[in-house]
Amino acid sequence: MHTKAKKNIQKLLFFIILTLASLIYIYPVFLMFMNSLKPFGEIVRDAIALPTLPEWANYSYVIDKINYFRLFGNNVIITVTGIVGIVFFSSAAAYILDRRTSRYTRIAYLIIITPMLIPFQTIMITLLKTMNIVHLSGSKLGLGFQYWGFGIPMATFIYFNFMKTIPKEIDESARIDGASTTVTFFSVIFPLLKSVTVTVIVLDVMWIWNDFLLPLLMVNSNNSTKTLVLAAYTFVGQMNTKWHFAMTAMVLAVTPSILIFIFLQKYIVEGVVAGAVKG
Amino acid sequence: MLKSKRKRKEVCETVLYTLPALLLVTLMMYIPFVMSGYYSLTKWNGIAKDAEFIGLDNFVTIFSKSRDFTDSLLFTGKYTFLFVILSNVIALFLAVCLTKKFRLANLMRGMFFIPYIMSMTIVGFIWKFIFTQGFAKLADITGWALWDLSWLGSPSLAFYSVVFVGVWQSLGFYIVLYIAGLQALPADVLEAAVVDGASNRQRFFRITLPLLGPSMTTCVFMSLTNGLKVFDIILALTKGGPGGATYSVTLQIYKEAFQNNNYGLGSAESIIYFLVVLILTQLVLRVFSRREVDL
Repeated sequence: MHTKAKKNIQKLLFFIILTLASLIYIYPVFLMFMNSLKPFGEIVRDAIALPTLPEWANYSYVIDKINYFRLFGNNVIITVTGIVGIVFFSSAAAYILDRRTSRYTRIAYLIIITPMLIPFQTIMITLLKTMNIVHLSGSKLGLGFQYWGFGIPMATFIYFNFMKTIPKEIDESARIDGASTTVTFFSVIFPLLKSVTVTVIVLDVMWIWNDFLLPLLMVNSNNSTKTLVLAAYTFVGQMNTKWHFAMTAMVLAVTPSILIFIFLQKYIVEGVVAGAVKG
Repeated sequence: MLKSKRKRKEVCETVLYTLPALLLVTLMMYIPFVMSGYYSLTKWNGIAKDAEFIGLDNFVTIFSKSRDFTDSLLFTGKYTFLFVILSNVIALFLAVCLTKKFRLANLMRGMFFIPYIMSMTIVGFIWKFIFTQGFAKLADITGWALWDLSWLGSPSLAFYSVVFVGVWQSLGFYIVLYIAGLQALPADVLEAAVVDGASNRQRFFRITLPLLGPSMTTCVFMSLTNGLKVFDIILALTKGGPGGATYSVTLQIYKEAFQNNNYGLGSAESIIYFLVVLILTQLVLRVFSRREVDL
């Protein structure tokens, strides 16, 4: 009886400490939201207290100043363009590379996945030059296309490994029914890849949506092509001591990700784990 | 005749399905990579039409003219070392805590994961704010000297601040990987250990930890590559300062090429960086996968 009570106290203590730890851990995020609702003087006076009266004017000012809705649209265009291409080209390539084995497919597979070893910073200088030549720099769609090249190696690798688990008999029965390769792929195989596709989408959305360096190199020169993170970066740089506006811009930049995470936590965590283990 | 026609069609399909991926990868990765190799042997300011071929001079310059690159290599090495150790040890500890069964466990996992889904640039700014404004207020309230230290202003402290923020941002990622590993452990082995009278600590160090090998390999490998890539957080937090104390290799390459306009020198640095990353990751991967335990 006595030891049981002791165990319960231990459990309670463990729970309290863990709760406190997680609250402290997330406090900086909370702090950002809080300070985005204070007028300037109040931040300087007390950065860690709750706002006395929420100052919504910060939001209307920043939303207008950075042209928030256009930035949001830019992010959506770039991310969607990137994802659609990565998913489509990678799954199609992985399908054929797994189903037809020849010297060509073995070499093609190696060529496609080897770039996973090249860090982005190794090629960023000359990438800018290359993209200038093919006119993919300076535009939202161009940036979206570029993500295809960077996303395909990893996505193909993940699709390829999963493809092995789909029995070849499925292809054969589709062929006996008279379906061509293209029809087989789109209407039979691709739907079976759903779980990996979710993994690829989760990983690549998180990457592209928050990416900084590639957009900085490619679309930073013009306000109409900037991404959310880039605009927040420039804006915070300019507002270097006007923390109330800076905080608001930061909140506006991260809120979409946090909202999506809250609604899709299960898929996002599963996708991230699956991607890391397979990748 | 019919067979060869079908064969030809199959070859066409194979090429058609793989060609887009091959072309895109070539355009975005291989061509710039080969160009980096070429420009590393030239003197080029990025604007001039022709780069002047100077052989291996850039590589000599990097290591003899100034200490900037060597310093940034050292910084990145120290950063990565501490980052890998801290994020793995803390994440493993928290993962063990968060796999215990209690209400709110899921919510807490979510809370630890949130910084990971935020842009690293923003994370850097949040902490810049806390290190300056937040700490000043905490110093007022508590009177502790700890808060008054110049966390971003002194070179040695700035290093730890950058590591701290890096770990804070990505800890959730390693936590969920370790949780997945812990949940995949065979329950019967752990139960057998309980029956045999193993203590909590014995169970963790003798059974759980060795069996977590694959998760650990993944986490160490991921934290290693992420540590070596550190860029956004530093740019937002310290911009490489104070006095260049927190320049990572990636930031150094960026500065050399896009701010100093030494594209040739920057390319040479990026090639050295590539080799360092390649060798380190392969080495660590080999060491860790050899030590994995199979059941």
